[in-house]
Amino acid sequence: MAKYIGIRVLATIPLLFAIAVVTFLIAVAMEANGSIAGQVCGEGATIECIAEVEESLGLNDPLPSRFVSWLGDVVQGDLGVSLLDRNAGVGELIGERIWPSLSIVGLSLIIGISLGMLMGIIAAIQPGGLVDRIFSITAASVIAAPGFLIGMMLSWGIGVELGWLSPIGYTPFGESVTGWFKSLILPSIALGMPTLAIVQRQLRSSMANALQSRYVLAARARGVGRATLIGRHALPNAMIPTITVIGFRAAAAIGLTTAIEIVFGIRGMGELLVTSILNRNVTVLQGGMLVVGLVVATVNLLVDISYGFLNPKVRLNK
Amino acid sequence: MTESQLPSEPSGDASPAKPDSPRRRFWRRMFRNPLGVFSMIWFAILIVAWIWPELLATHDPFKQDVTLQRLYEGPSGDHWLGTDQFGRDFYSRVIHGAGLAFRSIIIAMTIAVGVGVPLGLFSGWRGGRLDRAIMWVNDVFFSLPIILLAMAVIIILNPSLDNAMIGVGIAMSTRFTRLTRAVTLQEKEELYVDSARITGLSTRTILSRYIAPNLMSSLIVQAAIISGAIILIGATLSFLGIGSSLDDPDWGVMLNRGRELFRVHGVWQIVPPGGALILTVLAFNLLGDAIRDAIGRDASNNALTITKRVSVAPASTSHAEGDDVVLSVRDMDVEFPGTDGRISQVLEGVSLDVRAGETLGVVGESGSGKSMTMLSALGLTPAPGRMTRGSVQFDGRDVTNLSEGEWQQIRGKDVGIIFQEPIAVLNPAIKVGKQIMEPLMIHMDMNRDEARARAAELLAEVRVPDPERRLDQYPHEFSGGMAQRVGIAMALACEPKLLIADEPSTALDVTVQGQILDLMAEVQQRRNMAIILITHDLGVIAEAADRVLVMYGGQVMETASAGDVFFNPKHPYSKALLDTMPQNHSGEGALAVIPGVVPSATAWPAGCRFAPRCAHAIDDCVTTMPPLEQVESDMVRCLRHGTDLVLADPAEADA
Repeated sequence: MAKYIGIRVLATIPLLFAIAVVTFLIAVAMEANGSIAGQVCGEGATIECIAEVEESLGLNDPLPSRFVSWLGDVVQGDLGVSLLDRNAGVGELIGERIWPSLSIVGLSLIIGISLGMLMGIIAAIQPGGLVDRIFSITAASVIAAPGFLIGMMLSWGIGVELGWLSPIGYTPFGESVTGWFKSLILPSIALGMPTLAIVQRQLRSSMANALQSRYVLAARARGVGRATLIGRHALPNAMIPTITVIGFRAAAAIGLTTAIEIVFGIRGMGELLVTSILNRNVTVLQGGMLVVGLVVATVNLLVDISYGFLNPKVRLNK
Repeated sequence: MTESQLPSEPSGDASPAKPDSPRRRFWRRMFRNPLGVFSMIWFAILIVAWIWPELLATHDPFKQDVTLQRLYEGPSGDHWLGTDQFGRDFYSRVIHGAGLAFRSIIIAMTIAVGVGVPLGLFSGWRGGRLDRAIMWVNDVFFSLPIILLAMAVIIILNPSLDNAMIGVGIAMSTRFTRLTRAVTLQEKEELYVDSARITGLSTRTILSRYIAPNLMSSLIVQAAIISGAIILIGATLSFLGIGSSLDDPDWGVMLNRGRELFRVHGVWQIVPPGGALILTVLAFNLLGDAIRDAIGRDASNNALTITKRVSVAPASTSHAEGDDVVLSVRDMDVEFPGTDGRISQVLEGVSLDVRAGETLGVVGESGSGKSMTMLSALGLTPAPGRMTRGSVQFDGRDVTNLSEGEWQQIRGKDVGIIFQEPIAVLNPAIKVGKQIMEPLMIHMDMNRDEARARAAELLAEVRVPDPERRLDQYPHEFSGGMAQRVGIAMALACEPKLLIADEPSTALDVTVQGQILDLMAEVQQRRNMAIILITHDLGVIAEAADRVLVMYGGQVMETASAGDVFFNPKHPYSKALLDTMPQNHSGEGALAVIPGVVPSATAWPAGCRFAPRCAHAIDDCVTTMPPLEQVESDMVRCLRHGTDLVLADPAEADA
């Protein structure tokens, strides 16, 4: 297993490199659109100002050498400074903003995966039954609703009308742990509901397949009880396709948390990325996308590793 | 599909009465599905709203209420869905939003299909290193959040819905590349493409004639679902303020406007655009599901695993007497309800007895109901099938109506089953040792260490070399022969009174076959165990069976001692089976085959089920179902037994 994990970690390096190249090229493309120096100098920019900025940012160097020096800085953790505020380091900006985002994504995945698996298993035990049909209709409707809309409904219903939780805002972990957790509940449910529905649907169908398999029939013929059939025989095999779906959903949730944060007025990565897009603040964007890409690559790595745990063929053959 | 799963296709599309074109059947199924109808109606409305919004809209979607009197209204006769913060009519804005939604789909889908499908076709067809490189890049993009890719394009160009949709289209193209490549690879493997290539057809012809039609149905289903996703992402981007411009009647923009207001001015501010959005995405998803169902794939997904209990009509004949009768089945009927309401009767009036120390051979072609008989006798009828009549006694006890829990006490302990396909019956995710230990820990009250020690002994008994190491291996590390030994070890673990062996040696090579049969005979002698040996190989029967049950079309055709079946067969089907044995072949000319095929369980012949293929059939055979009758010490189901029917014995036939 250690060898398998080692190989998977090494396989992540080219992915990270590809993300770095894409991020770098985004900045190059923006520049071809003639905006970086103009953005810094503001309206009515003088030619001198633009020349100075281009010189200081190294925009006149050839592309490969720019990429190497940029990547060198990035590897050392230096993401540069914000174009709009020379005193604000991009690294620090992201460091402030990423924790609310990661907290929401993390809790939403915990909620979505655990409840989704539970509901998927329950539905698979009696496919076509009443519970299965109720779950299926609910899952189909939830998948059709964007998370931010669910978030607005929750903010209004539970936050405003019932007053159980604050309809808006975020409490940092350092300030109050319970406050932090409470402020995460509604955004995480909003982001986690579609996850729940997707996991439920996938696990239900792969459980139904596994329960119809020859090895489950053979286990029944050995006198294996229902609970063991479901939990020990069908579930590990049904989890293999489900893990794939969870991986995709985790990556999507990292993107979709931006809209959830905006609903709940949380200053996370979402707001940082959106304002940077509107301001064309290229250094912040580059750093933000790089960090998000890193998170996605980590999720992919975790998915690959869990395949190894679930599927002996994968683990032993590679 | 293997014979013991379903003896024939009970839910198949075999409807000889109505030759229906696939296209008509597709639309008939679409209109019969209420969710499909709902989605089609919703799309009809949306398409009208897209092409001719003025027809449906009651107000100008941009016209603000200058008097500031009618802001944040709820639904009324004038404003059906109320008004927004500028007093604009929500209903008309939602109607006009349909056009923007379709525009997004068209832009993104054109790019997604236009890039993804050719790339997938090329990559899958070409194969090799280039294919791997393309798929690696594709997977990198596939794993990135779509929102992020859309943002990247927006950054480079300018924030607008069209630009965002370029990004979404690129992201979605990775889905189409994967799908197209998978279908291309699959079709490429198919033999007919190989033969088509040999006969000199151009690549273009093969792609358009063979691959494209198979690709089309998957593409349409995928396109419907992805259209829904495109609308969701477009709405999210507009909601973030980086999609449609802030005055457009875009559903996402309306939600963006509502997000500041709904906590203060009431949740109604987000209901009209939110509702339109959810219904549209839902309609796309339901449409995708409905198309998939109407094409007819994935329909098997709904089968119950543990069948609902139904009342079983009693048998009309009594069970065999005697202490040594291990299993006795009388008049067993098993039915499968089809998806279209037709019922197929896969077993009819099956009776059998097996005594301690005896081997009962069960023979018949694939689809004759051999495996189904054994599964149903042990309460393992695959869903949605069910036993509707009959009586089963096991070891002197009536087990016809046992619950699953009561069966668990018997299965694995008093009766062991060896299945065909030895590798498929082992759980790929569990170590082989753990699987052998299961019956020991469940039935023999052993703890983990005892069970492990016994499992190693059992593997040694069935001559698996190096048993200790083998216990810790997974099924994929076993060959077919070794896996079948594991199957035997598991079936014998608790020293059962009855061993049911379903084609135990069919998948194995000849030398291993002999070893497996010898092994079973050895254990039988030692323990006075009863064996039911299911096979279509009469050679195996000749070697191992004391008595023989001949099955055809879900019925017992003949039961007799092994000697009688081989030297004095009374049923034409038994005789026909004997003639197909290579041993009975003179060595000249082609090996005899029984003409025709086993009929489907949905369409049994009215009279004798074998009549259409029988060389001795007379007119009565076609109209009258023969009963199972006692002839000397045997039972035979044939109208013509005892008449002038002469079935020569194999030795004479050879001469």
